[in-house]
Amino acid sequence: MGYVSARGGLDAIRAAERLVRRLRLTSESSWLEEDQILEKLRLLVDRVMGEAGLWAPRLAAKALRQSEGDATEAVHLLRAYRSTLPRFAYSESADADDVKVERRIVPAFQRVPGNQLLGRSVDYTARFLERQSDDMAREEAEKLRSEASGTPGDEGGEAHDNTDTTQRSPQRLLEMLREMDLVVDRRRADDPEPFDITRTPARPPAARSALLSSMTRADTGALVNQWYRNILGPDGYLHEVTLGEVRHGALDVVVRHPVTGLPVCVTSVRVTEVEAIEDLEGVDEDRTKFDVGYGLCFGHNERKAIAMANLDIACHRDAGRTQLEQSLLLTTDALDSAGFLEHLKLPHYVTFRSMIERKFAMRKARNRDAS
Amino acid sequence: MLLDDLIDSAQSDELLDEFAKREIRRAILAAVAIPGYQVPFGSREMPVARGWGSGGLQITLAVVHDDDVVKVIDQGDDDGVNAVNLRRLVTTSTGADQTSIAAEASVIQSRHRIPEDGLDEESILVLQVPVPEPLRGVERDMRELARMHAEADYSRMWVSLYEDKVRNGVITQTTGYPCLVNDRYVVATTPIPRWDIPRLHESPFLTLFGAGREKRIYAIPPRTKVEPLTFEDVPFEVEHADGATCSLCKSNAAFLVSLPNSDVWMCSDTDWCRRTREASA
Amino acid sequence: MTNDVEYGRYPVARLAVPEWMLKVERLGRVYGPYDDTVIASTGPEIGSSKSAVNGAVVAAWDVSFEVAAGEALGLVGESGSGKTTVLRCLAGDVAPSCGEARLRTTEGDVSMFDLDSSARRRLRIDTLAVVYQDPAEGLKMNISAGGNIAEPLTAAGWRNFGKIRDRASELLTRTEVPINRMDDLVRSFSGGMKQRVQIAKALANSPSVVLFDEPTTGLDASVAAGVLDLIRSLLEEHRIAAIVVSHDFSVIEMLTSRCLVMQHGRVVENALTDQLLEDPHHPYTQRLVAAARA
Repeated sequence: MGYVSARGGLDAIRAAERLVRRLRLTSESSWLEEDQILEKLRLLVDRVMGEAGLWAPRLAAKALRQSEGDATEAVHLLRAYRSTLPRFAYSESADADDVKVERRIVPAFQRVPGNQLLGRSVDYTARFLERQSDDMAREEAEKLRSEASGTPGDEGGEAHDNTDTTQRSPQRLLEMLREMDLVVDRRRADDPEPFDITRTPARPPAARSALLSSMTRADTGALVNQWYRNILGPDGYLHEVTLGEVRHGALDVVVRHPVTGLPVCVTSVRVTEVEAIEDLEGVDEDRTKFDVGYGLCFGHNERKAIAMANLDIACHRDAGRTQLEQSLLLTTDALDSAGFLEHLKLPHYVTFRSMIERKFAMRKARNRDAS
Repeated sequence: MLLDDLIDSAQSDELLDEFAKREIRRAILAAVAIPGYQVPFGSREMPVARGWGSGGLQITLAVVHDDDVVKVIDQGDDDGVNAVNLRRLVTTSTGADQTSIAAEASVIQSRHRIPEDGLDEESILVLQVPVPEPLRGVERDMRELARMHAEADYSRMWVSLYEDKVRNGVITQTTGYPCLVNDRYVVATTPIPRWDIPRLHESPFLTLFGAGREKRIYAIPPRTKVEPLTFEDVPFEVEHADGATCSLCKSNAAFLVSLPNSDVWMCSDTDWCRRTREASA
Repeated sequence: MTNDVEYGRYPVARLAVPEWMLKVERLGRVYGPYDDTVIASTGPEIGSSKSAVNGAVVAAWDVSFEVAAGEALGLVGESGSGKTTVLRCLAGDVAPSCGEARLRTTEGDVSMFDLDSSARRRLRIDTLAVVYQDPAEGLKMNISAGGNIAEPLTAAGWRNFGKIRDRASELLTRTEVPINRMDDLVRSFSGGMKQRVQIAKALANSPSVVLFDEPTTGLDASVAAGVLDLIRSLLEEHRIAAIVVSHDFSVIEMLTSRCLVMQHGRVVENALTDQLLEDPHHPYTQRLVAAARA
């Protein structure tokens, strides 16, 4: 078939691709091992998996290496890869109470059944930039290893300091508040299938499950911004929110075996879960009670889970009065926003030509009116 | 499906799994059945970014077979970097042949242009759509937008045209001119120039619009009425510059683009220009 | 021809309307759950529209009337009496809790409350228009006066720019808006001028019914008088069935021939406007009239 290349567009692309590979692959330092990314950049891997909506640590590590640390680019690689695969099973419903808690904070009370469990956190670590030499770091690592000896580490490249891990699921504060009749009960009797945002685009008004799915896959920064905007933005106000639970831990994923029909645990995912308890003060709300928002995302990403829980309850209370729901459903996806932003780099000379033509047409019309 | 099949599929050149293609074909059928209606679909992430033709690419992959011949253009140019990138993705993953000649192509994926000639009953034109919602300029709330389309309530669109004409003396809408399809739905005609709009009316070919980021597919089937929204007494104007002719093929019968601040014009449809030159040589 | 009808405990004169254009029967709007007990716990005798039983607000209850072409009916009462609720139910802005409203159209009688929202909206384009107290409710502030009038015209299918311009300038001339301001944004207009534009827009498709909600409240007295003059002459010119909601008896007196007096969500008196002003029966009406005359 006739194809005549006029100006070497393909050559330019190939040259650009060579430069990408050369800069990535030919630097002096040694090859970046997947295990290194998984172990040394754990939180980045978690964030990428969360925003991709795909629990696949090794693939996420590959993607991060390929994208040279560009998290959004890594999310793109993961999702595009996911698009090539058929979906062959749905997991069974997982109960968040089955999370093996590694960290659990209940800011609403000083003491709670099940206790506060600080776990791994830099919340109270002074933010000093560590400038120790490599040798000193190795020495410290040796010391820490001997302290922790006898404690089994995680397998599959998901190294975790499990020293303080208590594998249990303490009673939720929310349950206790319910027993005290302090929470608006919005639990529904039916159990509808969750809305699948990867198969049907979620548009307002959407099911709560669509909103939660959108937020759990959202760009972390975008979601934090939505939360902050909801407080300080032009239509925001200060929400009286107290966190009921902040949890991080591992949760088994179970599918039914296609042949035997029996439940089989196929993997374990780490999740961050947050319950946000909001005071009610609206005229049409029950002032004697609280309401609660829910957040859950892949990996250890408390910033995202807290924003999600706060926005879940904010969106419920907003009840379509503003376009908060539309904002959350449509403007928080990392790939949608970044892709559209960057498409401005594409050639636009046809549209620009049309714009210039109208500018002259307007001037002509104006001159005609003036004369 | 067995695990082995999955692994096979993962190692092939496919950009979309077969279930996704089937789903997209169903959305296309719905779009053809209701001309101009924006059909939501489960838009997948592609190896190209959102806003870079991911919707058009999904449609093309869903309709192309290995015996198809594809033409891919960006701004009318077969050799634009984005066109080249999309074409190699389509041809390597589907095995389809490629051409720059519109008349030889069975599927033409395009950003911002309709080829000047060569489209017929056998052609499918796939247009990449950045913003599928024609009413976004007059309404931002999606619930209200859905209502307006459902009730064919387009008066605010007409008011915006009225205001435009009053304020500026002309209708200033540049590309993506809103059109009423089959007397029912108003559509955004992607940012194709007004020059291309008349060719959508009663066209022999099928036009499919893919908006990957906004997860919408819509269609103008062959022989469908397509009217640009304009008042009876305000003629629809296509792009024009007095005396402009292509510096290469000397024609003024095609959509022309110019160099900045110069009178040097060129056809945006590079293949049409090439063939015109060859014919006159 | 008049005949007497029992309305509550008060005998009121009622003009038999030979050819009604809009007929409202037992219209009610309650905020909150209600039953007979709740309804009985509100009203003028109780002195409140809010039920002590469950806190429900009976904003309007058992409101019935008819309006003929060329006739203007007043709905008068203090704020919170339910008059605006009635108007908003008829306008389609608020869903009524019960009752019926029938509208006579060229295609026969339409039961308005049975229509879906789409059909209600179509009715608003060419059959039933509303002039709101706040021009921002009836007009788009960032659109020109002409563009605001173009909206109902294009919704009714007008597609000729010149004809739309002609019609808009005809309406603006009639409502005494300087024609050289036709292309200015409504936002830049004075309060009285905005109201005139709103009236022009309401008349765009020659509706058979126009609802006026406190059309001059908030305007300076002299400006209000001019707008009232305009409305009165328009009502005389066109065979419009009009409903005028106002707390102000001078507005009611100037525009309407009959009126209903509302208090705590109920109609307490229904009479010819001049009779009502001469000889109010209900104590509440007497108070209102006395206050207006003072």
